[in-house]
Amino acid sequence: MKYAFYPGCVSRGATPELFVATTEVCALLGIELEFEPMRGASCTGSGILQEKNQRLGDTLNARTFAMAEATGLPLLTICSTCQGVMSQANKRLKEDSDYLAEINADLAEEGLEYKGTADPRHLLWVLIEDVGLDRLKSLVVRPLNGFKVAPFYGCYIVRPTAALGFDDNPQRQDSLERVIEAVGAEVVDFPGKTLCCGFPILMINEANSVKMVADHTLDAKGRGADAMVTPCPLCHLNLDGFQPQAAAQSRTPIDLPILHLPQLLGLALGIDPRAMRLNRHIISTKKMLSQVALSP
Amino acid sequence: MDVTLNVKRFDPDVDQPAPYYQEYSLEVEDSSTVLDGLIKIREEIDGTLALRCSCRSAICGSCAMRINGQARLACNTKVADAVPNGNGAIVVEPPGNMPVVKDLVVDFKPFWDKIRAVEPWLQHMGTKPQHEHIVTNESMLDLAGVMDCIMCGACVSDCTVLEVDSNFLGPAALAKAYRFVADPRDSEHGWRLGELNEYGGVWDCTRCMQCVEVCPKDVDPMGRIMALRDKAMEAGYNRTYGARHAAAFTKHVEHSGRVDELRLPIESKGIFNIVEMLKLAPVGIRALLRGKMPPIIHKSNPGMDHVRRIFEKAEKRR
Amino acid sequence: MFDHDVIIIGAGLAGMRAAMAARENGVDVAVISKVHPVRSHSNAAQGGINAALTERGDPWEEHAFDTIKGSDYLADQDAVEIMCREAGSEVIAMEHMGVIFSRDEAGRLGTRAFGGQRHARTFFVADFTGQAMLQVLYEQIMKASVRVYEEWFVLSLIVEDGECCGAVAMDIRSGEVHVIRAKAVIMAAGGLGRLFEPSTNALICTGDGMALAYRAGAPLMDMEMVQYHPTTLKSNGALMSEGARGEGAYLINSEGERFMERYAPSMMELASRDVVSRAEQTEINDGRGVDGCVFLDCRHLGEKLIKEKLSQISELARDFANVDMAREPVPIRPGMHYQMGGIKTDVQTLTPLPGLYGAGEVACVSVHGGNRLGANSLLDTLVFGRRGGEQAAERAKKRPQSNITESAADMERAVIQEMLDRDGGGEMFGKIRLELGQTMNYHLAVFRDQQGMELALAKTGELRERYSRVMVPDKGKTFNTNLIFTLELGFMLDCAESIVLSALERKESRGAHNRTDITDRDDNNWLKHILVSQGLEEPAIEHSPVVITRWEPQARVY
Repeated sequence: MKYAFYPGCVSRGATPELFVATTEVCALLGIELEFEPMRGASCTGSGILQEKNQRLGDTLNARTFAMAEATGLPLLTICSTCQGVMSQANKRLKEDSDYLAEINADLAEEGLEYKGTADPRHLLWVLIEDVGLDRLKSLVVRPLNGFKVAPFYGCYIVRPTAALGFDDNPQRQDSLERVIEAVGAEVVDFPGKTLCCGFPILMINEANSVKMVADHTLDAKGRGADAMVTPCPLCHLNLDGFQPQAAAQSRTPIDLPILHLPQLLGLALGIDPRAMRLNRHIISTKKMLSQVALSP
Repeated sequence: MDVTLNVKRFDPDVDQPAPYYQEYSLEVEDSSTVLDGLIKIREEIDGTLALRCSCRSAICGSCAMRINGQARLACNTKVADAVPNGNGAIVVEPPGNMPVVKDLVVDFKPFWDKIRAVEPWLQHMGTKPQHEHIVTNESMLDLAGVMDCIMCGACVSDCTVLEVDSNFLGPAALAKAYRFVADPRDSEHGWRLGELNEYGGVWDCTRCMQCVEVCPKDVDPMGRIMALRDKAMEAGYNRTYGARHAAAFTKHVEHSGRVDELRLPIESKGIFNIVEMLKLAPVGIRALLRGKMPPIIHKSNPGMDHVRRIFEKAEKRR
Repeated sequence: MFDHDVIIIGAGLAGMRAAMAARENGVDVAVISKVHPVRSHSNAAQGGINAALTERGDPWEEHAFDTIKGSDYLADQDAVEIMCREAGSEVIAMEHMGVIFSRDEAGRLGTRAFGGQRHARTFFVADFTGQAMLQVLYEQIMKASVRVYEEWFVLSLIVEDGECCGAVAMDIRSGEVHVIRAKAVIMAAGGLGRLFEPSTNALICTGDGMALAYRAGAPLMDMEMVQYHPTTLKSNGALMSEGARGEGAYLINSEGERFMERYAPSMMELASRDVVSRAEQTEINDGRGVDGCVFLDCRHLGEKLIKEKLSQISELARDFANVDMAREPVPIRPGMHYQMGGIKTDVQTLTPLPGLYGAGEVACVSVHGGNRLGANSLLDTLVFGRRGGEQAAERAKKRPQSNITESAADMERAVIQEMLDRDGGGEMFGKIRLELGQTMNYHLAVFRDQQGMELALAKTGELRERYSRVMVPDKGKTFNTNLIFTLELGFMLDCAESIVLSALERKESRGAHNRTDITDRDDNNWLKHILVSQGLEEPAIEHSPVVITRWEPQARVY
């Protein structure tokens, strides 16, 4: 299994632990990541460029899709936001051939053309759809029995469903829960799992943003979660990075470790927590790791 | 088909009112909607169940409620599609973010107060034309997409920002505001954009897509909010944190192909904004201690000249 | 107790237009509605609003003639002249208020063709014209800060010394009954579609306004004239706009034939509604339908046109019939849609009961006569809503408030209490209402005959008797919808009786009243209105002449 790898800005910036954990885990899962040919791919626009100019965002994503097409490999993402923005752009490009032709005209000078065959998929989906949960289970060396994990998806990997292929792939609806169970852990369900983490308004209305962090983490914790796992590094930035503010603002200690999806997998696959930089989180994972009989 | 509806109930007339769930098992046609089921309950099984409904064809906006946790119109949700995993009970609850009056009936006052707050009526200074205003059909078609809104409150019910801050105008009112800001006949665009730029306005949306997903009429409230942001910035309202954040973000992608997370917060808040810089400091220090600081030297992606040209072309085309 | 100069019962287009007009005439206005104004049934009007714009070479007289011919010469021609003459300025006024009417290439208001008219004079907003206008009028109501008694249910009109001087109403939210005094009352409470099952009408259309006026002593006119719309969706009876045929859609039978050729060779699918509905029913009865339906065929219109101009009905077809309108014909059948009759008013909207005015579907002025043209109902609401507001304001300026007291509500309070106090054993309203709907839809539909109508009369009597013992299981104060539905059923039974009696009275076939046992129109004996009033024991039936100004009755061919 070989993929054109699109890591996104954040895994190469503020959450470097995601990048390394992904690399480690994919090696064990037999997923080969081709990053070199994708190095020149730009940011998806994250929904922000699209506010101002949707066509600009679509052009940048068409460029990325064309680069992936050129490798002949399927495109893999590790960020809910990248995934959603790409899926939405891809839907528009595939549905309107005139629009695609216009955009290809802008890509031509770089010698690129998007033929409309790309199908960007998040590692979360690839785990179920390509690797298979049975195979994942068979690779587990350290089942996380008794470990209670709350899923947190990130908006763009669950909405809008029309762009995300949920109709054809109903397993995507509860993919995170399936993966949590596959590694032996217990799912802590809570209504906030598909809601917003608050990150997009962090710079704009920090109080509201941080309240979202507090609401979700406290709710999950109240339902017995030992940790929360997310396939979105932006959610991670807020849920982990701003949890101290959330605790202060709500005057309640929280201390709920937030895991990137590959980190959860890595724990079950036997990867050294330090190799996945679990010691580099804002919220300490020490207690959690001792609970799963590991030390950081 | 046989179906079970698990309905969240609330009766304010009892001594100590508290919400509870009540299960109803009934037989419905295969083509029945959840509303058909609720009407059947109310007319044949339990006459005390309260809900609003009227047109049964997704036009009057009365029957928005949460079905299996998501806001929908009961009248255009088929029972067969709503049964979880093909057998369980369908959970029916009142819409969120509004106070419950009784059972599935909520108080829409907060909803209408916000609609009213955007002064939702056409304002044109100067003399009226003798006949109709001459405007393009395209401009009217764009507005038709918003006028399709039936004020059902589904978007408000599931808005994630309203959950944490009731001062947010919310998706329905902002979409309504867009309807006037984008109307070529309205002469108060500047003033409207100024108001919408304030706290509780367009910049407080998190772009979480809940409103897009739950809107039964494809109004795309979030898309309208994004369009309002753009119009505000175009009109010169670019000193808000939101506008600065968007501008900085765009600049970074244009120059390096990706976001510079070190500079983004600084540029959004403004480097000379001492208070905000001090607030950012502990976050930065914590990140630094954990080795999570983004690289100080922000390297550009290869092939950036192409990305920049795409930006130039896109800018020219606007 | 609350006091206003003018109160308006109903917050649809007629009610809100009346409120605007009264307000502009400088009086204190309040609107009472059992639902929030934007939930009113006006929002279901899809296709558009008619207006002949003289500057476009469409004299209003032609619109008037089309309307009168459409009415099968039962409309009062003085009223029709007023409506058609004032149409243009009303449409322009709505545009100035903000309605986003479709435009032509020059940016002027665009038009579409509509049934029964020789000129394309229907102005529209895609296929949700009613909703687009309703929202704009509500915006104006907000702007003018008009008081709206939202979710208040009117129980009775207050009549003192032979004049209407207010209403008794229940705040549904609290269950409290109050007196609202007014110097003039405008009834604008809409139609009675739910008397029929199925119907295109919303569940709120229960004839409250007609019954309230009837009980207060005002006569109901033309009640036998019930419109069946030619295109209602098979699965749930939802309306599929005439705009579809206006844009060029065909009607086809099971053999794929455009059968209207045999019924209305020149106007085809755009003949008047009674004619098209009868044609469809004949096809179905003669075995050229499928499952009791014929088909609306939009396939040749193309996806773009459907998306821009017929978006709402394409959603309805998708959601409720599982049909992609651009690719498959939609199964449709005639379905009860509109009541041409209503509270008798003069052209100034005044009813025979001083102090009570009426406008919109609830009233009968009569501009629709035996059959209403598509897109004339919105026009009716605006023109006569405005006139009603003006007239009521003028009356209110000249009169003091009556001296009735809160005790005027005692009777209603007692009636409700008695209803709530009935103990178990009795039946709920639901079954009675369903039987009423089925009876009306069976015996007072597109085709009628003496025997069927007599059966219907006997049935309404039986239902009335059962209703007197009906039980209300919800004893609570707050939002007791069960109580509301039960009260509505009482209104419905009054209306049903007046429809059946009027229909039995008219011994000819005219417009929507088509008898298989008397198939011809009889201008010598029946070119007149039938009025029903509440008598001391039995309802009283009277006749009144039709006003003819310049269009003598002719044979009606499309």
